Amino acid sequence: MELSITPAPQPGAWRRRGVASDNDLIKKIQAEVIMSKRKAKDSHFTVGECISQVQRLLRERFCHQQLPLRPLGMESQHKHLLELLRRTAVHGESNSVLIVGPRGAGKTMLLNCVLKELLEVNEVKKNVLLVHLNGLLQTDDRIALKEITRQLHLENVVGDKVFGSFAENLAFLLEALKKGDRSTSRPVLFTLDEFDLFAHHKNQTLLYNLLDISQSAQTPVAVVGLTCRLDVLELLEKRVKSRFSHRQIHLLSPLGFERYLEIAQQQLSLPSDFPDHKFCEDWNASVKALCEDKSAEAVLQKHFNASKDFRSLHMLLMLALSRVTVSNPAIRPADLLEASRLCTADSKANVLHGLSILELCLIIAMKHLNDIYDGEPFNFQMVHNEFKKFIQRKSHSVHNFEKPVVIKAFEHLQQLELIKPMDGSTAKTQKEYQLVKLMLDHSQIMEALQKYPQCPTDVKQWAVSAFG
Amino acid sequence: MSVQLQHPGYAEERLRLAAARLPCRETQAGALLSLLGEPEQYSYPSIFIYGHRATGKSHVTQTLLKELEMPHVVVSCVECVSAGLLFEQVLLSFFGSSSSELLPRSPSLSDFVRVYRQLCAQVPATQTRYIVLDRAELLRDMDSNLLPGFLRLQELVGDNVTVILLSEIVWDKFRPNTGCFEPLLLLFPNYSKVELQQILSQDSHPSYSPELYSAYINILLGVFYSVCRDLRELRHLAALNFSKFCEPLETGEAKEKDTHKLWRNIEPHLKRAMQTVYLREVSSVQWEQQQAEEREVGAVRGLSAHDHVELPYYSKFLLIAAYLASYNPARTDRRFFLKHHGKIKKTNFLKKHEKTSNHLLGPKPFPLDRLLAIFYSVVDSRVAPTASVFSQISSLVTLQLLSQVSHDDQLDSPKYKCAVSLDFIRAVARTVGFDILRYLYDFL
Amino acid sequence: MTTSSVSKGCFVFKPSSKRKKRALDAEDYFTNGSEDYETSKERFQLCQALWENMRAETEKVQDELSKKMLDSVLEFVRKSSASFLSREEDWASRMRASEIPTAALVLGVNVPDHDMTFQSLSDRLQQTVTPFVVSVQAKECAALKHLLQKFLQRLMGLSVTVDEEEEEAGAELPQRRVHCSLSALCDWYRTVCQKPSGISPGKKRSSSAMEFPPRPPVILIFKDLEAFSSCVLQDFILICSQYTQQLPLLFIFGIATSPCTIQRTLPHSVTSLLCIELFQSLPCTQHLATVIDKLVLTPQQPFKPSGKVLQVLVGLFLYHDFSVRNFIKGLQLSLLEHFHSQPLSVLCRKKEEAVERAQKLSHQEVERIRQLPSFMRFVEKQEPEEQVQLLTSDDHVKEVCQKLLEDLRRYHKNFYPILRCLHVLTSSLPKYPLGKQMRELHVSCLERNVWETEEYESALQLLRMLAKDELVAALQKCVEILKPGKTKNMRDALQQLGTLTARFQQPDSSADPPAAEGSTEGKEDDSAPGQGLQKKTDLFHLQKTLLEMKESRRSKKKSPFELLRNETVEYIDSLVKMHLATPESQPLYEVYYYTSSGTLRRHLNATPRTSIQTALSHPYCYLQNEALKNEAGAISSSAPDLCIVYKLHLECGRLINLYDWLEAYSTVVTAAKGDDPDSGEKGKISEVRHARFIRAVSELEFLGFVKSTKQKTDHVARLTWGGC
Repeated sequence: MELSITPAPQPGAWRRRGVASDNDLIKKIQAEVIMSKRKAKDSHFTVGECISQVQRLLRERFCHQQLPLRPLGMESQHKHLLELLRRTAVHGESNSVLIVGPRGAGKTMLLNCVLKELLEVNEVKKNVLLVHLNGLLQTDDRIALKEITRQLHLENVVGDKVFGSFAENLAFLLEALKKGDRSTSRPVLFTLDEFDLFAHHKNQTLLYNLLDISQSAQTPVAVVGLTCRLDVLELLEKRVKSRFSHRQIHLLSPLGFERYLEIAQQQLSLPSDFPDHKFCEDWNASVKALCEDKSAEAVLQKHFNASKDFRSLHMLLMLALSRVTVSNPAIRPADLLEASRLCTADSKANVLHGLSILELCLIIAMKHLNDIYDGEPFNFQMVHNEFKKFIQRKSHSVHNFEKPVVIKAFEHLQQLELIKPMDGSTAKTQKEYQLVKLMLDHSQIMEALQKYPQCPTDVKQWAVSAFG
Repeated sequence: MSVQLQHPGYAEERLRLAAARLPCRETQAGALLSLLGEPEQYSYPSIFIYGHRATGKSHVTQTLLKELEMPHVVVSCVECVSAGLLFEQVLLSFFGSSSSELLPRSPSLSDFVRVYRQLCAQVPATQTRYIVLDRAELLRDMDSNLLPGFLRLQELVGDNVTVILLSEIVWDKFRPNTGCFEPLLLLFPNYSKVELQQILSQDSHPSYSPELYSAYINILLGVFYSVCRDLRELRHLAALNFSKFCEPLETGEAKEKDTHKLWRNIEPHLKRAMQTVYLREVSSVQWEQQQAEEREVGAVRGLSAHDHVELPYYSKFLLIAAYLASYNPARTDRRFFLKHHGKIKKTNFLKKHEKTSNHLLGPKPFPLDRLLAIFYSVVDSRVAPTASVFSQISSLVTLQLLSQVSHDDQLDSPKYKCAVSLDFIRAVARTVGFDILRYLYDFL
Repeated sequence: MTTSSVSKGCFVFKPSSKRKKRALDAEDYFTNGSEDYETSKERFQLCQALWENMRAETEKVQDELSKKMLDSVLEFVRKSSASFLSREEDWASRMRASEIPTAALVLGVNVPDHDMTFQSLSDRLQQTVTPFVVSVQAKECAALKHLLQKFLQRLMGLSVTVDEEEEEAGAELPQRRVHCSLSALCDWYRTVCQKPSGISPGKKRSSSAMEFPPRPPVILIFKDLEAFSSCVLQDFILICSQYTQQLPLLFIFGIATSPCTIQRTLPHSVTSLLCIELFQSLPCTQHLATVIDKLVLTPQQPFKPSGKVLQVLVGLFLYHDFSVRNFIKGLQLSLLEHFHSQPLSVLCRKKEEAVERAQKLSHQEVERIRQLPSFMRFVEKQEPEEQVQLLTSDDHVKEVCQKLLEDLRRYHKNFYPILRCLHVLTSSLPKYPLGKQMRELHVSCLERNVWETEEYESALQLLRMLAKDELVAALQKCVEILKPGKTKNMRDALQQLGTLTARFQQPDSSADPPAAEGSTEGKEDDSAPGQGLQKKTDLFHLQKTLLEMKESRRSKKKSPFELLRNETVEYIDSLVKMHLATPESQPLYEVYYYTSSGTLRRHLNATPRTSIQTALSHPYCYLQNEALKNEAGAISSSAPDLCIVYKLHLECGRLINLYDWLEAYSTVVTAAKGDDPDSGEKGKISEVRHARFIRAVSELEFLGFVKSTKQKTDHVARLTWGGC
């Protein structure tokens, strides 16, 4: 019931409550007590408002990927990329680079930081053109080209011209960007998110042309690709690959746990320009306390070992934050613990707990089949056989169902994709004889059984040994 | 232990209203609400809610969104035969009727995002917008970029929008192989027995006391809880058997007090219902009469009675032949159907290495020639190979008693499988006085 | 029409195509083939008229038969449509609110007959319950899209006629696929339900439209559930279930096999959205019995199929398709055939007309009558001068003819009631010596004089052992049957049986135990030599017992009951002997009876395979070429190449070496040329011959006797059955 939320009490009231509950952070309580006293005489901000302010701020960080002032833990890459792009933007050198890193490592953030910084320079701002493409959206080159045209605001220029080739079209676009005199033309920054997806387009026309332009020294063009695939270069055709500058920026640098911890703290703490200073201090103090707290640290450590990327950290913090309320105006280690529990819960086990006894029996039967024909696919008939055997041994423990009912249970499991049919042709073969595979492993089943509410002991025994 | 639903930024009484409509789901509602946060605050880009059928996933979500008047759209992915429909519905409910005209014919995700951006530039979100995708597992079958796209829609359209996915299937089955933006997972666990009792007791019969009904529900759960925890199914069962439960009250041989008598009355019915749980067996009066009229001696009621089919004489034999062909190894045909098949020793005829019976592995496909060969040897009278004999084969296929394995347009020696159960074929064989077990390899 | 060629065989078997042909230019088609042109026109008219009234008859029968089921379905529909409205108050319907009411109709495997049922069903629904009835078939909804589209189009298209805005709504539907969703349907439904005019669809009479409930349900009929792809159904039902609040939907499943198919095709997650009720139609055998009863076993219909013909038709029904519709079509065909092939069928009509037609018989027709075997037999029975009369004077023949026609008429009037009586009496006997079904008895009566058969004998024996109450019951049934009889004999028989039954009820006869003792003593009699008889067939055994009983009976005197019983049986026997003579014994029966069952079988139950084989092995049957006739086993060289190749291939094994085949072929052909093969160009085969051979082989392959194979080079595989 920790998730439950109780009404906002008067300051006095929640002081008492504070004593009752938060005995772990005495320091904080005192702070609150003082603060509430202060509030008693001059309060322009109630706690509630502060909390919602905090929520707003942090949510923007965690959910909206609002840019931090400086990218965290990737200074060198930041410098490198900024340098490259500046060359294009200012000196009009064409270039191409790939930013490679696992999901949530902060590729987009890095790029956006750089661009932000770049655009702060004035002549760049009024000169450079940006084109954002995303492999998820521009699923083929025709769409991509339309998108480019749109982002360069050239629809009217293009009008309804017909072009012989893709290259022609692109060339025309870039040509159109040239200023009055032919020498200078505006540099264009192409950013390709999900770069690897573009490699799947029909003979990679877009990539080829972009990189080709970036090679030939006509219009200054920078192509920045973002991808999570390390083997992305293998995807490129030879002609495309040869035109790529093979510059890669990797975001794989494993930052140590201390760094991670301090980033977490940084992410949680409020900026100095927070309206209510007092609250801000208290909050930051509490965050500091949190990060020093052993249990909280353990949680973070566990999480860190699981995945180092920021997004999962954000998710964790977000969950913890969602538990911050007026009655609980700071993140306690307990919250963090709960949050990580939610993050790391095994969803399959959860699903298993929701099954009926009958379905559970079928799962066990399948487990035994898996043991017998080590991992070979099996069909319903075999499962039913096993089940029948069990029923004959232990008739009293489970009601003896007719076959159609059992089939229904089996279907349900299939619907939950706990078992997967081997061949696609479901229509051709009878349900009973369609080969399926069990998508659970031994341990999952066993521990699900342990947690299962009022599971008959016979069934448990059966799970342990086929002849139990 | 009902928990008050409370959250800053929402009107008290609305919250109370919502809470009232969500029995036994306060915890989940609370969790969800705290994730969504206050209206104008950002929420996590995508939230994935999973749990079994009838655990109130969509009910809770929709009730919250509706009662608290958040801008939202609920789309069931079953209805979206094309992605275009999905986009259209979203735009319509966010930006009004005219918006969908901006979409081109058969729009791509790119078009959708473009239109969305351009529209929300005019009407920026004051509060978080919510897109609820029910039965989200179907998104996987649409274009591969759709699911990842929606997961990070907030980032793509740069608007304060959150996508809520509802599904019965765990998230692990959704993740594309190159990964994608991970949503927040939220589990809706099954109702506990107590909660089920509480919920089911709510729809009590007007003409009886609520106590009686809840007592009835108690009995019902006692019988069915082990096999079925699906709220919907349980409600169906309750509705089905309640009249039976009340019979003694109607006839006046029992008072609402003496529960034991009532229990003794209803118990057999429930036990019988146990046999057909999940099967939705409701037969009409007319059906019963009809059955009664043509009931052959000792015909058992229930499922097996329903699975009885009248067939023309030769169709029966064709079916029998098909069954034999698909469950016997072809090499044994000589022994079964040749009148003078030398002396084939049973020992060397039965291969040792085949330990698993064909009735476990299922039917094998067989060519038409074999079917007819067996047919002509089992059918007693001499049958001309008339067109109607062949047409019967195809009609058996349309009745799904046979299934054609080879492709339809393969005219030359098509392959079939027999698609009926052993009980079925035995019943058929009995009607024509054919002892099929003698001809089945598995039963030697 | 006489040769059984492949195309025709398959052709006629298609139910629809024949009617198309007739519709095309029926009369000419009819008259062309027939030998005497002048009457054929008349016969055609007659044939048409008869068929019309037969069809009307059958339709009446069909309706009566399906009435029961349809009524209960309608009842179900009304109930559930009412529950749509009463959701708030009524508890049960509130519990069911989220479910779609569904009627599952189990109609049996004779799929062709279903259409009629569904037609009448949807008609009645539209007249009484709701204008919104749509039926879909599996083959037109391969995907969910199509199903939705069909559903919406038909539904909205139905009331397009009502007013304008529906017009364009229906019109824009096809091209804007995007709007083809149930939500669109809901809006449409709302608009239609608001305006009262919207309820009455254009073609229905507005009077019936007034009786519709305020929110008429929308009914969707799935004609053939088995054939639908399960995923399409699932998705569709899932979608529909989300609109149960706005839209009173209602499904009707047409099931051919058994209700289990619902569970087989749909997972529980879907079936849990339905509230299914099962309905079942009469078994088709019962259906058939009624049809025969109404069309054949009645003096009203002048046209009569002979026993053989009936056997063909019934056999077709029982052995091949349980299709009553095809049976009727067969009847129609025989009718057509009869009128087409039998010139004297001009007389095959209602009695009065027949008589007056008989008066103006042409000379030629009189001649025909004289040639009729039955008439000849009749003539031979007459006195010499009468015979002369008959053979010379046409007018006299006409006179006699009229008399005979009336006799025949009377014969029929008596025949059927007695037949029924006999059936009533014997159908309850153990092991049904005369058959369980009326039609079996009927056929055997048509075949030969029934009383000469063994079965009849044993049946009478059994009757003589019948317990009193059974006998009385049967007799009373007979009385019921005979009541409507108008002819004199019938009335006599009626009152005779009446008195007999009366006498049975008299107390004194009921004193002693009737059948028990008889049977018991029968037992002990045969128990002495019984051991030897154990393996004998029951019938035989039975008869033996009876004989022994006879003797034992002789010895001691019978009780009055037994006397009475025997008397009754004797009387019945006399009735049978008097009235159940075979039609062949009746003069002029050819006028009414259609006998050539062979033709019928050829048309209705074609054997393409055999006809191909005969064509190939005995080409003479098709191309009347004398040269081919004499061939017994040998291969005639003058036969077409195809036949030669075919015969040669019969001698080969599974794999045929093409070269050897070619060799054999060329030897056969050269044999024709007269020049002996071992001379001049020996072993050398001219291109022409080679080409002919190849062509023949490819033709054979085309017919599906051989097929090219990868197993062995320049070999072809022989197909036992051919790739049918």
